[in-house]
This record gives sequence, structure tokens and C-alpha cells, in this order.
Amino acid sequence: MEHGAIFGWTMLWIIFWGIVGGIVTPRVYERRNLDVSQARLGGTAIGAATGPIGLIPLWVFSPTLSSRWITAAGLLIVAILAVAFARADPNNLCVTNGGFVASQLTNGIVIGIIYSLMALGLTLIYSILGVVSFAHGEFYMIGGMVVYYMSVSALFENANPLVWLLGAAVVTFLMGVAFERMFLRVMNTGQIERPKEYAILVTFGLAFFLQYATQALVGANPVKTQRFFPFPNLDIPSQESAWLIKTTSGNIRLFDAVSIPNPRFTAAAIAVILLLMLMWFLYKTWTGKALRAVSQDQQAAAVAGINPNTMNTLAFGMGAMLAGLSGATLVQVFAWLPQVGIPASARAFVIIVLGGMGSLPGAFLGGLLVGLVEAAGTGCIPDTTRAAAYIPAYGMVILTLTLLLKPTGFFGREL
Amino acid sequence: MNLNRMGGWVVGTLGVIALLVAPVWLTNSPYLMHLAITSFFYAILASSWSLLAGYAGQFSFGHMAFMAIGAYSAALMGYYVRFTTAATNLCRELSLGGIWIVLLNPQGVTQTNTPNCLEMAKATMPVGAIIMQPPVWAGLLAGILMGALFGFLVGSLVLRLRSTYLALFTIGFSEILRAVISAEIDITQGQSGLKMSPLFPGGISLFGMEFGAAAKVPPYYAMLLLFLISMAIMGWLASSRFGLFIRAIREDEEAAAALGVHVVRYKVLVFVVTATIAAAAGVIQGHYIGIITPNILIILQMSLVIAMAVIGGLESLVSAAIGAIIIEFMLELLRNSFDIGPFSVDMTTWRLVFFGALLMLTLRFRRNGLIHPLITWFSRRNVGQETVANRAAAAAAPDA
Amino acid sequence: MLKLEVNNLYKNFGGLQVLRDVTFEVNGPELIGLIGPNGAGKTTLTNILDGAIKPSSGTVYLNDKRVDTLPPYMVARAGLGRTFQVTRAFRRMTVLENLLVPAMALHATGRQNFEAKAREVLDFLTMSHLTNEYGRALSGGQQKLLELGRLLMLDPSLIILDEPFAGVHPRLMEVIYEYIHRVNSDGKAIIIISHDMDTIFTLSKRLLVLNYGDLIADGDPQIVKNDPLVKRAYLGEDEEEG
Repeated sequence: MEHGAIFGWTMLWIIFWGIVGGIVTPRVYERRNLDVSQARLGGTAIGAATGPIGLIPLWVFSPTLSSRWITAAGLLIVAILAVAFARADPNNLCVTNGGFVASQLTNGIVIGIIYSLMALGLTLIYSILGVVSFAHGEFYMIGGMVVYYMSVSALFENANPLVWLLGAAVVTFLMGVAFERMFLRVMNTGQIERPKEYAILVTFGLAFFLQYATQALVGANPVKTQRFFPFPNLDIPSQESAWLIKTTSGNIRLFDAVSIPNPRFTAAAIAVILLLMLMWFLYKTWTGKALRAVSQDQQAAAVAGINPNTMNTLAFGMGAMLAGLSGATLVQVFAWLPQVGIPASARAFVIIVLGGMGSLPGAFLGGLLVGLVEAAGTGCIPDTTRAAAYIPAYGMVILTLTLLLKPTGFFGREL
Repeated sequence: MNLNRMGGWVVGTLGVIALLVAPVWLTNSPYLMHLAITSFFYAILASSWSLLAGYAGQFSFGHMAFMAIGAYSAALMGYYVRFTTAATNLCRELSLGGIWIVLLNPQGVTQTNTPNCLEMAKATMPVGAIIMQPPVWAGLLAGILMGALFGFLVGSLVLRLRSTYLALFTIGFSEILRAVISAEIDITQGQSGLKMSPLFPGGISLFGMEFGAAAKVPPYYAMLLLFLISMAIMGWLASSRFGLFIRAIREDEEAAAALGVHVVRYKVLVFVVTATIAAAAGVIQGHYIGIITPNILIILQMSLVIAMAVIGGLESLVSAAIGAIIIEFMLELLRNSFDIGPFSVDMTTWRLVFFGALLMLTLRFRRNGLIHPLITWFSRRNVGQETVANRAAAAAAPDA
Repeated sequence: MLKLEVNNLYKNFGGLQVLRDVTFEVNGPELIGLIGPNGAGKTTLTNILDGAIKPSSGTVYLNDKRVDTLPPYMVARAGLGRTFQVTRAFRRMTVLENLLVPAMALHATGRQNFEAKAREVLDFLTMSHLTNEYGRALSGGQQKLLELGRLLMLDPSLIILDEPFAGVHPRLMEVIYEYIHRVNSDGKAIIIISHDMDTIFTLSKRLLVLNYGDLIADGDPQIVKNDPLVKRAYLGEDEEEG
């Protein structure tokens, strides 16, 4: 960074006015007997975006804070940060090279789709069982491990990669079902004094167990599979000047600017198909509708003849399976270790808190957003060692801010 | 009841005496001494976490973060703070009537050849001026204060968050801290960690014997002393109205408030107390080990503390502490790998698998832990009979 | 002498008006019944008096001290005690510890004396054989008694009982009646919220009727019973349903 101070001072300015807005606005609204549910978030966003220019009219007129205002303020903050960044570091690739930016953003969305898939599993579990599974990342890790060890086993080596995915799905689904039956079912029988705390600790224990069991069984050396499907060679419109699409077996290039590596593209394509299948299941089949009914109202669903125990087991199994499938698609992208589940878990927590715990659209949107933020973070921060250390922390900053400002996230229900 | 209580005192006193004289036998084995010191460290953390989670119902995953805050405060003080008897006029400094507290400028990891401000100032400082590293107790004080401060901050921020949300927030806090420590290499030296001086850099004489800086006996007593002090403080708190209120808050915040309990104050206070104790343990352990790295903040460490407290007994300070000591010894003694026929069993990993399974099974089938039921059996064995006897007495004399 | 003044209380949740201009006074050790159909605003009124939620406008004075701006624990210390519709015994604390919580919240010291007082309270509630049992070991009715016992230890000047008779064994019902009479004759005012009409009419000396946020009647139970407004809004409806 050439003029790091510009960026630093802008950040400080934003943080300062954000805090002022977040603390003062709820008090102003409370004193005037107005709806305070949005006041903390709205005050923070408007304070951070506009400083005193926006806050003073806000406090004087205290209008109803709609989501539209808050979104606008949020976009303004992003814009201010982008401008400050561009001024601070004018030679950065993110500022000078539009193609690079487009590539980063596309890759962010591509990877975000897979994050969404994983977070959907977690939010599905939460919406049915009211439990956040701290072992979600471990199912993700196991999904990848299953695919890798199938791909190197004599029996499945030459099978279609889709068979490997199926294997990962079956294994993680069965593990989820078994765990739910053995450890979570007792929550509904009244034998457990504090079911929520019990669920946190027992899934935490499961994470610990699965992680070290995997390490004991397969060791701690990083593994990675070959890409599932190579691209055919395409040059559109022509071989001489392929500006629309140009592929090699390992890469795809769109509009002569956006470049996506094959493994990521394949993983995202599989994830999109899986998402569509999930939507079909949840909205078109009886079982899926029953699941959604239970997530709306457990008691009413029981009256309607839906067995809540079955639904709990199914939801946990499916949640584990979705995590396993995201891992299965990503094992061709990242090196795989027994520890890969930890950051993946953390990321899934960020996504569902941001989107609103138990909200399916929230998890999808949150996943895309986190993918974008991570891509911008990795691509644009000039100090690479520092960037690598801070990337997991960005998500956690988002998580803690969301919990403080609006614990229900984008689409969450009331606490 | 009185007999039970007396029995408890007798057992407790015997236990403390045993810990006090144990070095007589252990001193020939530095390995066992090291194990004992580490087990006290975990016992402090597990019991303070049990006060936070078991008594007050605040299932925080940020306990190791408070520990790290203590250790890093002390370590950073050792690196960047000097006490001098003369002004440097180059560094940032604070005069305290004849003694200056000097803040050195961070050097980074690579630029070791450029001298820091104090080195440069030495030329201009009067002859005979004393430059001193802060003593260990100053670091301990700084660690405790920072622990309390962060305990207060986190405690105040999480007031509205319950169960799952609290767990997620505290994990977030811990991870952010780890990322900051790993990333700000110029100040914290990142993954390579900060070196810390021994607890007694010049050695110390105890019971008429001289011990060098590397001897295990002085840190044994230092950690044991901290363990006993923190157990005494927490035990006293738990049996006073503080303990009554935090348990009432755990059961039902609104009902407790409706009965006049200042819920906010006690929730924040329990975070401050447990964070302070964790921070103090972090300072002593850091000085004992001699180095502090961000790896003490990884999830595994927090899992260990939680598992120790749960397996010992979450709702009892003593059970959690005993659980921690037993498990720390077990974990170390199970390290030896062995072969069964052609298979070699790598126990360094398998012991953790076993441990995770034990944690889950304890939660599922013995939610009061494995140690705690033994203690309650002794202290409450009469309650059932009492109730029956009282009821019988009441039935016999209905007018009473 | 207790004095509670509730002045022009309004409460809106979003666009929904749950309480509308509720005004009444309690002077001295009155025994008051508060009734109203579901959704009438009884629980909201209780929560405002208790400090758990703030009114949109209006004031509450307890013994000439403004309490509607205070948090619940301060209101409790100012002399208002309440029970909850769903019992809220501290399940993993002994019965004795349950009783000590309010006493120790008011006084920093004197645990010995309060333990003695708690034992007296338990004697009165016919629960002394359960002194060292955990709250979770108690039956539902016993947990209700335990909550009443906690109120005695808090020693408030005004007590609000939310559905004290719901799901209680007849034998324990007797204990609750006696409790109400004795506490009332000790000089404490009591407001009872209940769906049990017969009990309310026999027990209370004054009746408040809430209907969709309006306080539509306030007075002697026998007169209120024949008030046409009350008949139409509440009792009539009740008969139709029954």
C-alpha cells in the first residue's frame, strides 16, 4: 500500500460513526416510542455510511427504518471503502485491471454456491431440530475423504466420479442418521436438562471424535483428487479470436476476461444441480413439505400426523449429507486434511448467522456474499502473508457484528 | 450433613497436603513434575470454565482466548516495556517520580539489525542509569488486568445472546484474536511466538535449597499456589450469594430478575472473574514453558478444557479440577504407541479419538460427569432418607 | 400503606394496540381479581407493572416511586412480587436455595437468619420435608407453592399471582387459599389473574376486567358481574363458548 494511512483513517472514521450510530439511535427511537427492532442496525449502518451528515437528520426526524434504507447504507459503506482503497493503493491489480476484478468476483460467486450448499445443510438442521451442529465441518471433511479414497481404491478407480459423489452422500447421510438416533433423540424425551447446551457440547464432541478418528485412520498427509471431468476444447466464435468462450481441459475463459479453473466450475455446476434437486425435494415431495411444516411449527405438524422423530433424523442426515457433498465436490479444488473441517464449519456458521438461522434463502444469499468477500479479500490485499492470516477472521468479524447488531440475520425469525 | 461436611474438609485438607509434599517424590522425574504443573494449569482453566458454564450457564468457547490475553499481555510487556531510572527522550515514556516506564518500538521479525529507540538513547542517558526488564509480577499484574478488562467487554457484549448464539460469538472472538496474533507479525512475531523469561530468572531458594531458573520445583509451587488461590476464591464465590445468583440466572433469568437479582451485573461479573483467573493461569504457564504462540488458541485446546470439565463434572468446581488433573495424566501416559501384529497403533492420535468418544458418552449417559457423582454420593446420600423421614414424621403429626 | 397508581397506560406492539388508556389505583391491602378473555392484555399489563416491558406511554407509581422506567429487579426491590403463568422454579437448586435467592438479593448478609425464615415459610406451605430436594424433583403444584414461598421471602407490598390455581391438586389448592388470606391479612395487596371464575368471584373483593386492551370495569365483583358491558364483552362470550 502506498498511502495506507488513507485507508486506515477511513476505516477508523467508519467504525467510530458506526459505534456512535449503533449506541445513540436505539435510545433516540426508544425515547420516542418508535419501533426499535431495526434501530441498532440502521443506526450503525447509516452512521458508518454517512457519519454525522446522515445521523443528525436521522435523530431529528427519526423515520421508520426500512430494510431498503439499511441496504442502501450498506452499499454506500462498501463503495466508500472501495474508493478509499483505490486512492490508498492505486497500482493494485484490483484497481487497475477490470478483467482481474471480474475474474475474482466470478470465482467468488462460483465458490460461494458451494458454501451455500453446505450452509443449507446446517440451516436445515437448525430449522428442524433447533440445533447448530458443531460437527458440520467434519461431515464436509469426510465427504471429501470418501471421494478421494474411492478414487484411489481398486474397486472404484475407473468409476464415474458421480459414483464417488453418491458414495460420499450415502456415507455422510448414514453417519448423520446414526448420530441423531444415538445422541440427539434423547433431547425430545425430557431426559436432558438443558437440551440446547447439551446439543452444542455433544456435536462439539462429535467433531473432535470424527476429526481425530479420521486422522488416526488415514493419517495427516494432504490429499487431492484429479479433476472429475476435463473440459472439451472450445473456441467460440473462432479459433483465431475466441472472445466469447475459450476452454482448455483445465480452464474456461469467458469474454476474454473472466477465467475460471475447471475444478471450481465443475464443483459449482454440480452444486447447482444439487440445489435444484434439494428445492424440488423440499417443495414438491410430501416428505419435503412435511419437513418444512415441522420447521414452521413442530406441534401443528405433529397434529397433522407427521412424526417429528422421523423428521429430526431425516433432517440431520440430509444436513450431514449436504455438507458431505460440498466436501466431495471441493476435494478436487483444495488439498484435503482431517483438519479442513474446522474453517469450513466456521464459514458455515458465519453464513447461517448472516442469513438468519434456519432460513433457507438466507443461507443461499449468505453463501454467495461470503464467497465474494473472501475472493475480494484474497485478490486485493497487497500484504499476502497478512491476508492469509486474516481471511478466516473476516468471516468471524461478520459473525460477531451480525450477532451484536441483528442476531436474526437477513431473514431470521425472532429469537 | 455436618458429618459429611467435615468429611469433605478432611479429604480436601489431605489432598492439599499431598499436593504440597508431592515434589519430594516427584523431583527425580522432571517429566512427572512437568505433567503435574501442566495438569494444574488445565485444572485452573477447567474449574473456572465450570464456574462460567456449569454454574452460570454461559457456555462460552472463548475461555482459552482469555488465557491467551493474559499470557500475551505479560509476554508483550517483557518485549516492549522497560523500567529505567533516567529519561530516554527518544522512546514513548511515562515518568513515575524518578522511574520511567519506557515503551520500545516494535522491531518486526526480520529487521534485527536496526537498533531500537532504547539502544540509541543509551548514548545520551546518564552513566549508571539502570534499565530493567519488568519483573514477572508486573507481567502477572498486567495479564490479570487485561483478562479482567476483556472479560468485562465480552461479558457486556454477550448479555443478550443465549446458548447457540453465545457459543458462536465466543468462537468468533477467539478466532479473531488468533488471526490478529498470527497476522500482526511485527508485534507478536506470529507463529514463531514470543519468548517469555522463566518464572524466577535468577533462581530462588525454597526450604533452604537453591533452585536454578530451569528447575521444576519453583514453578510447581507457583502453579499450585495459583490453583489453590483460584479454587479458594471460586469456592468462596460459589458458596456465597454470588453462587446463588448465577445459578438462579442459569435456571431462569427472568424469574431471577423478578425476585430482585441484578442479572446484568452478575452475568458480567462471572465473565470478569473467570476471565481473570484464566488470564493469570496463562501468564504463569507462559513463563513456565518459556514461549507463547497463537497455537494455544486452536480449537483443540478449548476442546480439551471443555472435555475435562464435562468428564469431571460440569456443575462442581472440585470435580472439574480433579477431572482435568486425571485426564491430563491419562492423555500423557497414553502417548506410547504400540504394535499389534503387523499394525502399528499411533496412540498420539488414537488417545484423542478415545477421549472424544468419552466426552460424547459422558454427556449422553452421565451428564453430571464421572467424578461429580462420587462427591454428591457422599454429600447428599442422606437427603432422600431425610425427605422420607420428614414426610413420615409430618404424616404422624398432622397438626404440627 | 401500599399505594399503586397506574395512569393512562398505553402499549403498542408495532401497529397492534394491546393496552388502551388503562388507569386504576390500589390503596392498601386489597384483594383484587383481574380477568379478561385471551388476548385482553392481562399478561402485558403484568409485564409492564413488573418492569419486564416498557409502556408506550403512561406511568406507574408504586408507593409514590415511579417504577415504569425501572428494570424488573429494581421493581422487585421496590416492593412488587409476581409469579408466572408457567411455573419457574429454579429446577437445579434445592428448595431452600430457591427461597434464599430473593432474600439475599435484598440483603447482602444474614444468610443464617434467612435460612431460619425460609424453614418457617416451608412449614407454612407444608413443604418442610422437601427442604433439601431439588426443584426439579417437585410436582407441578409443589413448584407453584415454591414460587409463592419465594414471594414471601421477597416480602413485597404488592403481589401479582398469574393463574395460581391452574393444574394444582385440590389439597394444595387449600394451601394456596390460606396463603392468599394470610398474606392479605398481613397487609399486602394481591392481584390474582385467573380463568377460574368461581374462585375469582368468591375470593376477590374487587374485580378489574380487561377487554382487548380496554379496562371496561372496576369494582365490586357482584356489581361488575351484572355490568352489561362486561356481560356482553366477556361473560356472554364465555357462555356462548361453554
